[in-house]
Amino acid sequence: MSDRQFGLVLALPAIISLVLVVGIPGIQTLIYSFQRVPLSDDPATFVGTDNYGKVLGDESFVESLVVTLQYTAGYVLLATVLGLLFALLLDQPLRGRGIARALLIIPWATPVIIAGVMWKWLIDPQVGGLNAVLFEIGVIEDYKPFLADREWALVFTILAAAWHQASFSALLFLASLQTLPNEIVEAARVDGATAWQRFRGVVFPWIRPMLLVVVVINVIYGVLQFDTVWVMTQGGPGDATTLLPILLYRQLFIFSDIGAGSALAVMLGVVAVLVSSIALILLGRDDPLAA
Amino acid sequence: MASRTVSRPVLRKRAVTALLYAALVLFAVWVLFPFWFLVNSSFMTPAEAVAVPPHWIPEEPTLGNYSAILAGQVAPGGAQVGLRVLTALGESLAVGILTVVANLALGGTAAYSMSRYKYRGSRLSYFAVLFARLVPPIAIVAAFFVALRDLGLINSRYGLVVVYISFTLPITILVLKNYFDGLPRELDEAALVDGASRLQALWYVIRPIARPGFIAAACLVFLESWGEFFYALTLTNQLTIPPVLAGFRGFFQFNWTTLAAATVLAVVPPVLLALVFQRYVVRGLAQGVAK
Repeated sequence: MSDRQFGLVLALPAIISLVLVVGIPGIQTLIYSFQRVPLSDDPATFVGTDNYGKVLGDESFVESLVVTLQYTAGYVLLATVLGLLFALLLDQPLRGRGIARALLIIPWATPVIIAGVMWKWLIDPQVGGLNAVLFEIGVIEDYKPFLADREWALVFTILAAAWHQASFSALLFLASLQTLPNEIVEAARVDGATAWQRFRGVVFPWIRPMLLVVVVINVIYGVLQFDTVWVMTQGGPGDATTLLPILLYRQLFIFSDIGAGSALAVMLGVVAVLVSSIALILLGRDDPLAA
Repeated sequence: MASRTVSRPVLRKRAVTALLYAALVLFAVWVLFPFWFLVNSSFMTPAEAVAVPPHWIPEEPTLGNYSAILAGQVAPGGAQVGLRVLTALGESLAVGILTVVANLALGGTAAYSMSRYKYRGSRLSYFAVLFARLVPPIAIVAAFFVALRDLGLINSRYGLVVVYISFTLPITILVLKNYFDGLPRELDEAALVDGASRLQALWYVIRPIARPGFIAAACLVFLESWGEFFYALTLTNQLTIPPVLAGFRGFFQFNWTTLAAATVLAVVPPVLLALVFQRYVVRGLAQGVAK
């Protein structure tokens, strides 16, 4: 066997697997999005772009799109900024830094769905601790059922997901900061640069490629967020937290409309792939972890 | 006696240090407060959990919630909460391990091939992996649902493992290819010169040296699999632990304290895994996810 054949044989099982579990389901979903798919195994019928029209023409789609954009904006801002602050803090030569870095891993290792369970009950008016804390320090005058309020529900479903994701962002920022040669920062310090000047002139340009990576990942996770919302509010109260993935779930599994659900899925998938491809191209050879 | 005068820059430096430590404390609170509440609740009786103001340490700590789960007890409300939690934890473990094994076998060989060998379409297969990495799971769920339904594999452990390969295999390949790329080619070549076959070079020379890469990939895949909620919700009938935890909704249907204990049992394995293999995981995360 030649080296070329050997290489192909080694890679083939994985490539075939990916074709089977990503390629074909992807194409199948695309096909469904142009079909009416019956509940039984009767053959599906071609309906053109009806499903897309149905999804886009529904006013719940527009509402959901607005909520999704609000959710994503809050989530990206919180997860990215907190992550950057955590990383900068844990990059300082402080006592206890080792323990703090271990702590940093914990929210990331905590599955998003479990973060949702924890936060749901933490802010519960009957058993939760947050109401008591806010009450004690005088922020609120009564125990509030936060998840019954449209705006608070959005805030806390964002917060629970960002609690997990800020750690993820911080881990990536920290990895990038650790490749920054100390001499560069020291040289700036010797030249009399203030902390802010060092950050703006040296540290920030260094982590900028990683910032792009983190923001893109966070945008995609924001737009596709399902777990915390499902476990905390199921999209409610009303439709206050009905993100597009929640809408997709309803189409597919509540209304059993495989066609319309697939149309929405295709649109979400295309957006996700496009956003990350553009980022990859922008990034080019700009390796975020280059030493 | 000379008074201890402190110069301005020194004072400033001390103030900054104090602020940094204050920030470190805030960071620890952010990470640990939800856990404190969760663990605290899990050792309380249902009556104590609704105390106003809440108890920050259980006054009458009880192991009742854990023993109810471990004994598979029937919870108030008639649902066999305990039994379902234990079974689901077992299924999560099984699905996680099977997914990891499949990933290391398929991904290990493919990553090695992509790192060392060129063949017709080798670049294309690498781009296929990158592309598969970008396809969001939620976008192809419809196809999985219909296929598993028609095959009678809804609620099947093995069906879920096959589906999980779709989003874990690209991660494994990218992490491992990155790791192999960092190993000098002379290692393989020396083995070949010594008369080893290409397969023996991979198995006896590269595999042992690449252990950290395999550990990183295995941990990342296990964490992804353990916390996966969307597919488990839609393609199974609460088979694994995430949909079981999310299924406890109403306050009167069950005790929050029992759910807290179940959640603790569900969050300990991934957090422990991430902490024990911290170094490997963070490296894998930075190099496999960010690149």
